[in-house]
Amino acid sequence: LGRRLAVVAAAGLTAGAAWLYLREEKARRQRARRREELRALALGQGDFQLLDQTGRRRRKADFRGQWVLLYFGFTHCPDICPEELEKLSRAVRLLEQEPGLPPVQPLFITVDPERDDVAAVGRYVQDFHPRLLGLTGSPEEVRAASSAYRVYASAGPKDEDGDYIVDHTVLIYLLGPDGLFLDYYGRNKTDVQIAQSVRRHMESYEPVLE
Amino acid sequence: VARMSAPTMEERKACWGARDEFWQCLDRHADDAAKCEKLRLSFESRCPQQWVKYFDKRRDFLKYKRKLETEGYHPPEAAGKS
Repeated sequence: LGRRLAVVAAAGLTAGAAWLYLREEKARRQRARRREELRALALGQGDFQLLDQTGRRRRKADFRGQWVLLYFGFTHCPDICPEELEKLSRAVRLLEQEPGLPPVQPLFITVDPERDDVAAVGRYVQDFHPRLLGLTGSPEEVRAASSAYRVYASAGPKDEDGDYIVDHTVLIYLLGPDGLFLDYYGRNKTDVQIAQSVRRHMESYEPVLE
Repeated sequence: VARMSAPTMEERKACWGARDEFWQCLDRHADDAAKCEKLRLSFESRCPQQWVKYFDKRRDFLKYKRKLETEGYHPPEAAGKS
C-alpha cells in the first residue's frame, strides 16, 4: 500500500508541475503575442514639442532612456483625472520602494490646451507626485502629441460660464526607454497591478522596434 | 469675464464631499429630491455648474446600472411607448 501511495503521489506531483509549466508557457506566449501587436502599432512615434510646468521646452526625445507612465487629461476634470493621477502616483511610489528598478517618470499631458496653460498645469500637478511633470503647448502641438498615442479628446459644449468638460480616452500608458508604448492600464487596474506590470516589463524589456 | 481657474484639490474634495452627502440623503429617501433640498443647494454651491450636471448624469447612470444588476435587462416594449 505504501508503495502504491508513493507512486500516486509522484504521478500527482508530476501532473501538477506539468500543468503549472503549461500555464506559464501560455502566459509567456500571450505576452509575446502582445509585444508583436505593439510592434505592429509602434504607437508613439514622431516627436512632440511641449512646455512643462516651469515653462521649459520638452521634446519626446528628452524622455528617451526613461520609463514613463503617461496620462492624458485636463485640469477642469470633475473626478476621473484626479483619481487616475492619484493611482498613477501611488504606482510610481510603489515602484520607488523596490530596490534595483530604474526610476519611472510620471507624465501628464493636457487635452485642453485652450485653458490649461503652463501656470494652470503647474497648479494642478503639484497635488499628486513631486516628480510629476505636466506638459502643455499650443493646440497644434498638443494635438500632435495626443494623436501620436491615438488619444481621443473632444471638448463638450460650453455653458454660460464658458466652462466645459473634455471627453477623452482614460488610459495610463507605459512607455519604454525607446519612447514607444509598451502597455496601457484602464480604470479597472489598481496601483498594485500597474506597479507589478511595470516591474515585469522592466525585467523582460526588449525595444519595440529593431 | 475672467476665465475661471480649475478647482484646487481642496475645492475638489469639498465638492465631492457635498455631492456624497447629497447622494447619501437621496439614498435614504428613495431619491426623493424634495427631502434633500438643503444638501442639493450645498452641492450646487460647492461644485462648478458643469460638474453638477456631470454628477447628476453619473447618478442616473449608476442607478440604471444598479437596476440592471438587480432586475435584469427588459427590452423596451415595441408599440405604444415613447
